[in-house]
Amino acid sequence: MTKRSINLKINGKEYDLESKPNNTLLNLLRDELGLTGSKDGCQEGECGTCTVLLDGQPVNSCLTLAAQCDGREVVTIEGIAKNGKLHPVQQAFVETGAVQCGYCTPGMILSSVALLETNLTPSDAEIRTALAGNLCRCTGYNKIIEAVEQAAQVLQDE
Amino acid sequence: MSNLKTVGQSVLRQDSWDKVTGKALFANDFSMKGELHIKLVFAGRPHARIISIDTTKALEQPGVVAIFTGKDVPHNLYGLIKADQPVLCEDKVRFTGDQVCAVVAETIAQAEKAAKLVEIDYQDLPVITDPQSATKPGAELVHENKPNNIAHKVQLRRGDVQSAFAEAEIIIEREYHTPMQEHAYLEPEAGVGYIDEEGRVTVRTAGQSTHDDQRQIAQALGLPLDQIRVIYGAIGGAFGGREDISVQIVLALAAWKLQRPVKLAWSREESISGHGKRHAITLRHKWGARKDGTLIAAQVEAISDAGAYLSTSGDVIDNFRFSAIGPYQIPNVKVDAAAIFTNNVPGGAFRGFGSPQTAFAAELQIEHLAEELGIDPTALRLKNCLVEHALLPTQSEIPGVVSLPLLLETLAEKVDNHQADDLEAAGKTRSSSKHKKRGTGIAIGLKNSGFSFGFPEGSDAKVILHGDAEIERAELYTAAADVGQGVHSALAQIAAEVLGIPISKIELVTSDTAVIGDSGPASASRLTIFAGYAVQQAAEQALENFKAENRPAVGGGRWDAPPTEKPDPETGACFNSLSYAYGAQAVEVEVDTETGEIKILKITAVHDPGKAINPQQVIGQIQGSLVQAQGWALTENFIIEEGYVKSDKLSTYLIPTVMDVAIETESILVERPDTFGPFGVRGIGEIAFVCFAPAIISAVHDATGVWFDHLPLLPEQVAAALHAGSKQ
Repeated sequence: MTKRSINLKINGKEYDLESKPNNTLLNLLRDELGLTGSKDGCQEGECGTCTVLLDGQPVNSCLTLAAQCDGREVVTIEGIAKNGKLHPVQQAFVETGAVQCGYCTPGMILSSVALLETNLTPSDAEIRTALAGNLCRCTGYNKIIEAVEQAAQVLQDE
Repeated sequence: MSNLKTVGQSVLRQDSWDKVTGKALFANDFSMKGELHIKLVFAGRPHARIISIDTTKALEQPGVVAIFTGKDVPHNLYGLIKADQPVLCEDKVRFTGDQVCAVVAETIAQAEKAAKLVEIDYQDLPVITDPQSATKPGAELVHENKPNNIAHKVQLRRGDVQSAFAEAEIIIEREYHTPMQEHAYLEPEAGVGYIDEEGRVTVRTAGQSTHDDQRQIAQALGLPLDQIRVIYGAIGGAFGGREDISVQIVLALAAWKLQRPVKLAWSREESISGHGKRHAITLRHKWGARKDGTLIAAQVEAISDAGAYLSTSGDVIDNFRFSAIGPYQIPNVKVDAAAIFTNNVPGGAFRGFGSPQTAFAAELQIEHLAEELGIDPTALRLKNCLVEHALLPTQSEIPGVVSLPLLLETLAEKVDNHQADDLEAAGKTRSSSKHKKRGTGIAIGLKNSGFSFGFPEGSDAKVILHGDAEIERAELYTAAADVGQGVHSALAQIAAEVLGIPISKIELVTSDTAVIGDSGPASASRLTIFAGYAVQQAAEQALENFKAENRPAVGGGRWDAPPTEKPDPETGACFNSLSYAYGAQAVEVEVDTETGEIKILKITAVHDPGKAINPQQVIGQIQGSLVQAQGWALTENFIIEEGYVKSDKLSTYLIPTVMDVAIETESILVERPDTFGPFGVRGIGEIAFVCFAPAIISAVHDATGVWFDHLPLLPEQVAAALHAGSKQ
């Protein structure tokens, strides 16, 4: 298969890469760039553990072709803490006990970050809708909702 | 106890920082330079003889390094309890997830391509799918040496049920069916095998016991234990599903034979088809009582689907000896339970280990009895439930502080208050619209902690203290697997408490057989108690040595639990378990009588963790258990037809999403320190699962007047039953 060249920004850094047309963004991140924070849970866009932000929107990177990201900006879980300081959503996940096994955590956090980028006062229903594509098998979701509410409060106060 | 500084605090989990930043390395996140890739060839058919395996074409493919078959495995049988499962099948396959060949190539694409070119000639055999008919004479045998396909049988006899039934003023006789359940941990099985710097065959993976994995690898490869090393990184959930071997032996075999690093990762479909499930069980109950509600006799017959290999099927029904009648005192009990081999996916360990199934039947028996007698179900439970010094069906006194009546009373008060509030607030009809009806149900339960039934129980731990006049830092060594439940933090809290130092001074060294002794598995709600005792002992010894001016000051080694007893084979009589957890739960549901959809509105869960080492994490276990049990009860429909798994994706096997979760979940901790367990702690990992499904059934009945005797309550079945009911 002929590779094609793509140019994209990942976590603020420019990349010029050669990629096969059928390569997914998830494979590019995990296997070629070693960014293993994005998880591989189902390969069919059901579990949401591979969620990343593409131009600020949460997407399943297992269903996104790397080539689709040409000229665009990707943010992964490795890219949201700034200068060694956790993003308020990350901090809230730690403090509320929203992390158990942690496999859903990167995707959950990125979906939450995307929500709070546009809505600092989300209702319970809006939080649930934003996280509807991210499965968790450990927490029962209660503390994850709590974490998003706490992060929203912190961001409002900033 | 009131002077505790670290134990009892919701200390933030030490692993959460790496998990929120993406730094935590799960099994599939770890890679090694020059690693080869393995693709397994699964049987893909439920029951067949292998006539021949031809790897010629596959071996000729570019990049292929080796293809391993059963002939390459020195001792080609393994098993957690009994070795009955081939690592790679040679003459017969018994379920679709059996492994036949391991294709090793330079890239995963090459391995996948070559795997499709392995030619296996099978002769299909009759497929056994129904445990009820599997025992009939002439049925095809799944294992030639297991007559009538019986994997394991247990019985219990207490008192005289026949005479008691003759005396009974009311008899409740019903049959219940509970389904298989898939663990659906979000991280599929994966790992890396390599030869470490000391020449040991090493597997870095995710499991529930490094040492059980190590033992089974050593046995299969015919190597001494110290030549095998097992390491766990971050573990993406387990719930019992990682107790059995998945990728471990194949990784070790390939690394050992090729002397190169190898990687293997299962797809979601391979994971769902490949690892054991919660047992599907049919339970027939006959209970006798007096008119005043006093239970006097119970007879239970249970048939469990063991699937293709033994796994923990025997141990799951061994537990029926005390759990079959739920948390009740009944003087005359007869239990007969059997696990039956079929060509279905093996039944294995899953949170609750048989207790959710037994609680389901027992709690509904109590409800039916209450309805027939016109007695309030809470009062009927209080009249019959276990209290201190009560005798279990195993004819031994239940040990420790029995808080069940207190939990039930606490729950009843809460539910009464809720209902009063609701009525006041809404002025209120019990339905939100004409075809949506609301109802409340309750259930109680118990779960034993630790292996029980005479199995040796205990744990290793080690503490090393550094510092001059004061302890500057403490190393804590434990093999206890943190599968997400937070046991590492709990153990660190116990060590910090004993040592009198802040938890920030504890450095954890975890889950590596090369440097740490066996803690036993993350199972049976056991680690905080049993590994906890070992950590407490290690910390106390290290502290003594520190005070005696030894530097570094070391403490630890083996901590052995007091023994439990093997049951009498006829009567089941024994002292079976050291510790129990209890629960009482209420749930309010809304049933859409047109669509059959059931919505969970409000949950009240009252539990006694003895001493909550970390209340935040205890509540996390309760909340997670409730939603997992909700899935078992309502949406998780594991479909297996003629041995073929039809629900092998997360798009066809539906675990609850955030949209399905109750608006309000109240977890109430009633702490009554137990007489056994460090700081009085009880195991809390399973109990909240145990009670929940029958509470939902009762709530649905309260809303609609219709009883169900099976799970899951799929909307189409509920709608059909409600329509049939309304026509009667």
